[in-house]
Amino acid sequence: MAPTVPFNSAEISEKARRDLLLLLEGIRGKKNLVLEKALAGPLNLLVKFSTLQEYGVDKPFFLENDNVDSSQRSVVFLVRGEKAKTVITVANQIKRIRRDSQIEHEFSIFWVPRRTVVSDQLLEEAGVLGEASVSEWPLFFVPLADDVLSLELDDAVTDLYLRKDPTTIYLAAKALMLQQQKHGLFPRIIGKGDNAKRLADLLIRMRTEVTASEGNCGNSFLGLTPSLAIDSIIIIDREVDFPTALLTQLTYEGLIDEVFNISANQTEVDSSVIGGVAPQPGQTGSASTSMKRKVIIDPKDSLYSTLCDSNFAVVGNLLNKAARRLQSSTERNQLAAKTTAELRDFVAKLPGYQAEQASLKLHTSLAEEIIKFTRSDIFLRSLEIQQNLMSGADPTTQHDAIMELINRNVPLSIVLRLLCLESTTNAGMRPKDLETFKRAVIQAYGPQHLLTLSSLEKIGLLQPRGGSGLGAPAAKPGSVTNYSPLRRNLRIWDDEVNEAEPNDISYVFSGYAPLSVRLIQSIIQKQTLANLIKPLSNPQAAAQANPLAQGSRIFDDATKYIRGATFDETQTGEERAIKARSMLNGSHNDSNKTVVVFFLGGITRAEIAALRFIENRLKEVGGEGRGSRLVICSTGVVKGGSLVGSAIETRYFG
Amino acid sequence: MSKPTANWEKVGDKFYRKVQLYTAVFDQDLELENYNVVGAPYSGAVAIYRDEEKVHTYRGAQAAKSSIDIYSCAGNLIRRINWDKGSIKGLGWSEDEKLLVVTEDGTVRCYYDLQGDFVPFSLGHGAEEHGVQSCKFYSSGFVALLGNNHLVSVSRYDEPRPKLLAIPPPDPVVSWAIIPPAYSLSRSVEVILAIGTTLYVVDATDAEDRDFSAGPFRHISVSPRGEFLAFYTDDGKVWVVSGDWSEKLSEYSSGVKTVPKDMQWCGSNAVALAWEDEVHLIGPKSVATKFYYDAWIHLLPDIDGLRILTNDVCEYLQKVPDENVDVFRLGSDSPAAHLLEASNLLDQKSPKADDLIQLIRPSLAEAVDTCVKAAGHEFNIHWQKSLLKAASFGKSVLDLYSSDDFVDMCETLRVLNAVRFYEIGLPLSYNQFKRLTPEKLISRLTNRSEYLLALRISGYLNLPTDKIYVHWAQQKVRVSVADEESICHLIVKKLYGKPGISFEEIARAAYDEGRVRLATELLNYEPRAGKQVPLLLGMKEDLIALDKAIESGDTDLIYHVLLHLRKKLPLASFFRVINSRPVATALVESSALDQDRELLKDLYYQDDRRLDGSNLLLSEALDQKSLAPTLDKLKLASKYLSDAKEYNSHRQHLDDAHRLLKHQETFEKELGPQTSYLGLSVNETIFELIRQSHNKRAQKIISEFKIPEKTAAWLRLRALVSARHWTELGEVSKQKKSPIGWEPFFNEVLAAGNSRTASLFIEKCTSLKPEERVEMWVKCGLLVKAGEEAFKVKDRALLEEVRDRCEGAARVEVERLLGMLGSGRR
Repeated sequence: MAPTVPFNSAEISEKARRDLLLLLEGIRGKKNLVLEKALAGPLNLLVKFSTLQEYGVDKPFFLENDNVDSSQRSVVFLVRGEKAKTVITVANQIKRIRRDSQIEHEFSIFWVPRRTVVSDQLLEEAGVLGEASVSEWPLFFVPLADDVLSLELDDAVTDLYLRKDPTTIYLAAKALMLQQQKHGLFPRIIGKGDNAKRLADLLIRMRTEVTASEGNCGNSFLGLTPSLAIDSIIIIDREVDFPTALLTQLTYEGLIDEVFNISANQTEVDSSVIGGVAPQPGQTGSASTSMKRKVIIDPKDSLYSTLCDSNFAVVGNLLNKAARRLQSSTERNQLAAKTTAELRDFVAKLPGYQAEQASLKLHTSLAEEIIKFTRSDIFLRSLEIQQNLMSGADPTTQHDAIMELINRNVPLSIVLRLLCLESTTNAGMRPKDLETFKRAVIQAYGPQHLLTLSSLEKIGLLQPRGGSGLGAPAAKPGSVTNYSPLRRNLRIWDDEVNEAEPNDISYVFSGYAPLSVRLIQSIIQKQTLANLIKPLSNPQAAAQANPLAQGSRIFDDATKYIRGATFDETQTGEERAIKARSMLNGSHNDSNKTVVVFFLGGITRAEIAALRFIENRLKEVGGEGRGSRLVICSTGVVKGGSLVGSAIETRYFG
Repeated sequence: MSKPTANWEKVGDKFYRKVQLYTAVFDQDLELENYNVVGAPYSGAVAIYRDEEKVHTYRGAQAAKSSIDIYSCAGNLIRRINWDKGSIKGLGWSEDEKLLVVTEDGTVRCYYDLQGDFVPFSLGHGAEEHGVQSCKFYSSGFVALLGNNHLVSVSRYDEPRPKLLAIPPPDPVVSWAIIPPAYSLSRSVEVILAIGTTLYVVDATDAEDRDFSAGPFRHISVSPRGEFLAFYTDDGKVWVVSGDWSEKLSEYSSGVKTVPKDMQWCGSNAVALAWEDEVHLIGPKSVATKFYYDAWIHLLPDIDGLRILTNDVCEYLQKVPDENVDVFRLGSDSPAAHLLEASNLLDQKSPKADDLIQLIRPSLAEAVDTCVKAAGHEFNIHWQKSLLKAASFGKSVLDLYSSDDFVDMCETLRVLNAVRFYEIGLPLSYNQFKRLTPEKLISRLTNRSEYLLALRISGYLNLPTDKIYVHWAQQKVRVSVADEESICHLIVKKLYGKPGISFEEIARAAYDEGRVRLATELLNYEPRAGKQVPLLLGMKEDLIALDKAIESGDTDLIYHVLLHLRKKLPLASFFRVINSRPVATALVESSALDQDRELLKDLYYQDDRRLDGSNLLLSEALDQKSLAPTLDKLKLASKYLSDAKEYNSHRQHLDDAHRLLKHQETFEKELGPQTSYLGLSVNETIFELIRQSHNKRAQKIISEFKIPEKTAAWLRLRALVSARHWTELGEVSKQKKSPIGWEPFFNEVLAAGNSRTASLFIEKCTSLKPEERVEMWVKCGLLVKAGEEAFKVKDRALLEEVRDRCEGAARVEVERLLGMLGSGRR
């Protein structure tokens, strides 16, 4: 028996798919499906709409639109049940249909990912529990790519940092626990951040609870011994490193996200941009009513996979190269010279070429559109400010530039990203400056943003320096991140960045090496990082032992300056069980282990690119990772816009 | 030892056997003919209750009391449920041995263990007025027929949701049957009703007339897997039809005038007709055999056969499994038969044994398999042994043989024989055991309080034992008369540290029994915080429940407790409770934000959280539809902060907002409806005013709201550009100074497409480098000017660059400048 690969994305999506179809199968006949908008993306990733139709789904509706009609007897609700608000919405809609419709309906509710006590309670109070058959669709991780698993919790940032609601942590722990039960415990849990610590504690707690609730036989017994295929899990709290999320991403995928917005591997692009591309097969959802057009950003597309993690500066070249290659391989005059066997090969490859051609066309148009965006004055200005701030320039020198952007009435989120960036990289803003900017923002964008600013302060993105009160003592250690020592200790600013042939993760931001990823490096790629920080005089010796790389020195040194709790736990099991497991799985040496990285509160696409860069380095022959595999898990994919967006007040007076 | 074929009966070319399971089952006084008897599937318990429609001898007041009695197959009374709840219209079992009792008024009681504890629910759908006529049960649900021919289906018992099926015609139902959802084409339960001379098939959506005219059908029976249907017609015929109604397979005429009491399938091969003491077994191709008894009989169908119950015996009627036919049939020359023979000869130390083995050598492995399987199907221990012995002998001759099946079978038989023992009374056949699964068998044993046997079997088969212990402990706390201290001590001593033990369930049992202190004590041993919460709430230990919920990290549980507390406690004490628990406070805040603003206001007030309270009012102001209440709310928001110095600036902003709205209101009134000012920010208001050339008003706002000079300049520039007031911009260019420099003017105007006006600002950009200015000229299309700019600073390279971009006259001009420069230099 080959050992199963932990966190296998194909396996996870297949299971989620099967679970859902089984639930749908349980309801006889045609049915109308009412789903929460936030679930449309994940659903689309997992199941094609045509498959849903095969399983009797007649028409899909969005819960938010409250427009499900009575055309079918069976009505199925597919919603997240953690929030009382959605539960009540569901109850009200059931009541509305029951009141308005002539025929008797059958209601089913599939709670995602679990049925909650509170939802039952609320449904009962609304008087609809008796009429709806309730089940749950345990959808936790949604694979976005082979190595990226996302919980797709859109509210994670608001819940965690603004409302301090730990639901996200609990769901994350559940999701990880399910994987642990399947593949064995994470031998080591290490990480940074207060919420991350809570998650780690919860994982350890759940372990004892699961042990307590399960019998002493079969697979579960083995399930709770440390896994031999997993090396460790690294949990990073977004709070630890807000700046990385606030910066404008400069990788191709990151920029697509910044310009067009990607959600669940799908982006909406104006059809004038990509007019000629054939419609993507299997796309569900409404036909493009407006001029917007849905495009699937497919991580399995070979062309895209070479592009997505590159710095945008080199994407043009890559596209050119791909175009030339494609052209030369399909050119007619070459055909003449081929033997029949070669011709047959060629014909067999033709569909592939066509797909590639289409993909090339799509990405060329996208890239052109992005270039327009990156050439705009506002983009360049804000990028300049960002780069200055990250490289450690005195923040006050940037104030005029930011103020000018406000005066030019650029979109609020751009301004807030810059202000928050300054605040988070400098342990807060000088109270006087902060007051000036607050005033400017309110005058420029409206008094409703008093709420926005309060929210940002609560999240910890925009704060006066030295705590909130007047004359408060200097911030407690561990409550803010101090970037100046980190620039040296972790070398998070790289002046000699090479975007075309990257030699360090700093390429993703053209200079700034994301702190979150540096932290991970300090755990799994110590040697390389040590040499980067403090190159030894003797290059031969450098490859061997840099004293910095010993133990967890870099990690320990760095975490001192970073806010939030630090933890490093090991999970061991019974001797006997470990032996049994290693017998079952055959002799496992240290290589090919999986390192799970969990970003609580969201990960940016630039960070994903950086992590993939590290993974490729680890895989190199003789590299220090011994072929480790990285799996990136997160509560969702974020970017600066969505981070500050969760605080922005959208209502206005009038 | 009698022959294994002694109880075989040939029906057509198939053999059937009647295995005597137990004798002396019921008390001879029990008049079984006056009772309704139903048996749980997989040889489970048998429930009997007196048929009220039949007269019976009076035996004194005690015996007249009606009850439902649950017996094992061997006739041991497991439990007596006293019954005074009205007339029983349906009694049946579920797959997991839950007893369902349906009364006439549509009340259903689900007795989930054999101990007499039950969960009631009601059928609804008019069952109360029309009354339940009868019920048919399947593995996980049942269908009830009401007085008005409506059919109500219940498909699960953990969350029963009675559903009305499609409505059949109201004529009297002669007989009926159901096809379980697992075997119906539509995957939901289907009902076959005999009405008049025809048959109706009813499912959730429609009632379809099958157009028969041979009725009325007195009995309908569906085979265990739904592949065949059997009907008994009025003229004494049995029809067998395939499950998809496509063909009639056979017809048998019983030749008896009286309608049989019962008709059931025996496995999927034969139909049994039962009269009072006579059974006809009809095999395929309409061949039949008859059995006679000397007492009243009851048929209890099971998945692979039929139990026949009389006062004296419990018999099992089934088709003889193929393996057993292979081995035991008279004159069988199958390898397995030879192997058995060889093994016997070996016992007699006869050399012929080897001859036989050599004879079947090529198919020996197959023979061993057959013997192993036949042993499994054999009820008699003697024959089990000899078959296994034969198999063991056979496999010792084989070079390569995996003994797994053999070992498994030995284990299984040990278990089967143990539970078939009359004191336990679970006469499971091998197939039933495989279908039931060992885990379910353990839970059946546990429900019968056969803890020791359950534990032994669990140990033997490596199954979890936690449920057995928990059940034992629950029984202990229910029935033990010892003092609570020692019960707790006893339970903890036995169970603590064993994996999977749910102390919560034990504690709940104790609490339900009224032993609160014992419950509390036991609950302390529960390792799962979340599990403790519901019980703690039930025990009114609300605060501990809240703490445990928080400890578990499960927000659902925390919400649950909070909802509970919110309803129970007065507001002030509710706040006091959550105050010291930040997670609880956060959750209350988060949910109240969506649902209960008033609660939030009170919370902020109580906690003196000025800023939050004020923000809440601001947010409410945003929600108002008209201006007056918006202004009021803003005032309130500002007042909320009145005596908190640290929020002075915040308050200032609120007052500004108030003033701004006031201004905007007047602007709208004065300046007419074409532009809407309400809701704009200060900057936008100024922008709009300048755009509409209301410069005075704009100036007023600028000074009143202390707009910084730079901002004002920008606003003016953008507004003028947007309104395309080029002349005014031309005026501006004549001013001496600009707080934002002149470059923005150039950029904005050029971006708006007016290069002529834009060019006015180029010369004013004195802070820029000459190259940049050259570029600006070029952007405006004024190449000669660009050339002059370059000439002014005597930059030859720059000038040449300009020249390269020129054409026609401009080129000549630039060439000239270049010439001048050249001569000047050289």
